[in-house]
Amino acid sequence: MQPKELESVHRHYLKEVRKTHTWVFTTQVILFLLFLGLWELLARTNTINTLIFSYPSKVWAQFWTQLLDGSLLPHIGMTVWETIIGFLLGTILGTVLAAIIWWSPFLSRVLEPYLVIANSMPKVALGPVFIVSFGPGLFSVIAMGCAISVIITTINIYTSFKEVNQNYIKVVQTLGGNKRQIFSLVILPATIPTILATLKVNVGLSWVGVIVGEFLVSQQGLGYLIIYGFQVFNFTLVMMSLAIIAVVATLMYQGVAFLERRLTSQFK
Amino acid sequence: MNQIPSAPAKIELGHVTHLYLSTTRAFMAVKDINLRVEEGEFICLVGPSGCGKTTLLSLIAGLEKPTAGKVLIDGHVVSGTSRQVGYMLQQDYLFNWRTIEDNVFLGLDIQGIRSKETEEYALHLLDEMELADVRKSSPMQLSGGMRQRVALVRTLACQPDVLLLDEPFSALDYQTKLKLEDLIFSTLRRHKKTAVLVTHDLSESIAMGDRIYILSRNPGRINSEIVVPPTIRDTLPFDARNQEGFQDLFHRVWKEMEVVSDAAKGT
Repeated sequence: MQPKELESVHRHYLKEVRKTHTWVFTTQVILFLLFLGLWELLARTNTINTLIFSYPSKVWAQFWTQLLDGSLLPHIGMTVWETIIGFLLGTILGTVLAAIIWWSPFLSRVLEPYLVIANSMPKVALGPVFIVSFGPGLFSVIAMGCAISVIITTINIYTSFKEVNQNYIKVVQTLGGNKRQIFSLVILPATIPTILATLKVNVGLSWVGVIVGEFLVSQQGLGYLIIYGFQVFNFTLVMMSLAIIAVVATLMYQGVAFLERRLTSQFK
Repeated sequence: MNQIPSAPAKIELGHVTHLYLSTTRAFMAVKDINLRVEEGEFICLVGPSGCGKTTLLSLIAGLEKPTAGKVLIDGHVVSGTSRQVGYMLQQDYLFNWRTIEDNVFLGLDIQGIRSKETEEYALHLLDEMELADVRKSSPMQLSGGMRQRVALVRTLACQPDVLLLDEPFSALDYQTKLKLEDLIFSTLRRHKKTAVLVTHDLSESIAMGDRIYILSRNPGRINSEIVVPPTIRDTLPFDARNQEGFQDLFHRVWKEMEVVSDAAKGT
């Protein structure tokens, strides 16, 4: 085969790949627009109850008004802030806890049943306990965002610590390494991909924790807006908050996914 | 101390027995092993799977303590791993998250002896192995043979006197294996290291070793010892295979292995 032919075959292949990409993207956009259009149409023709379901143009108008009068950003800021803190705390605490039980096999055996119980427990059920211990405010919400991810993080990361190939540990041991060096030179770097993957799951979990936390107790935040909108029967407000949560949570997830790709590229 | 203080062997195992314990049983991996390796010697351990070859290396390396008996290096009881002993595994186990250079410096970092001099020595070794131009590369970019050479440099960079080789060629293709045998053989000779090689490959053991120990299993014991004549011992492994007497020696080792394997089947 001539190099020229080879190149043209490859060019043709690339064209096909691009075409598929475009099609997927176009279909995605059409699906979204169709959903909004249908929603708007059904509302305008009074097929669905606008009091309950509201409709896109009204939600959008509400968004603009609140954005411009400055009453929306504090809510978004608060929730994002709480989620980030809860998420970081959950991940850091979980990793530290995993490191401690990796360090002491005795402790890991002692704590095993407690971890199982703590993991099976629906963490949101602890809401009232958090409120009375941390007060009805920011701290309770963060505690909820953290509690929901910390145990599963511990379990996942500890499992990945244990799954590191024993021969890597043997390499460090035969070079005279102690336990601390085994941890810092092998265990931790080898499990960074797992830790980052856990991070991705934790973002989602922390959102659940924070929104539920805000449902229970708060004067600010997107969870508060949802509950408030529900109580005063302003479902335009509820829908708007849901849409904002969808966008912001996705952005946050993509951010962590980007970080994961950047940091784990050298492992693949 | 029951040996003459003036001439302790480099490695000495006296009546070494080692058990592996689990809740269901106590498994005797090796029983009553007596072994003496002089400074600069290259010995090979061969035997059927499960005869405790790797256990012996772990004991010499200080990764495990013998249940009974003594393991001595330079006349001192081995208690834990030391700088003196280097260990090479079946596979390279390079750290993918470090560059080749940083992999080679691993031992220096661990032992806290990383300095300009030790770094230079390690890089000199890397150069000796014809790996100087990949020092900034990632292990993933290297072939199996190159990776195993890097692993050798990583071990040698700490300047151990004793090198334990646990089937370091078994994961390589045949051509690479033969080349690496020659390279390791000459490197160890040049640096006057004492070496213990565990292998499944009988011709490799004859080509590389000064002496060969044949082990039997259940429990692992030394069945026989074969001394390789100087003509074969002093030639590079690749050429040693063509030396006069190599085939005869191979058949002797083969026969001994047959005896060992048959005995194992009988039990």
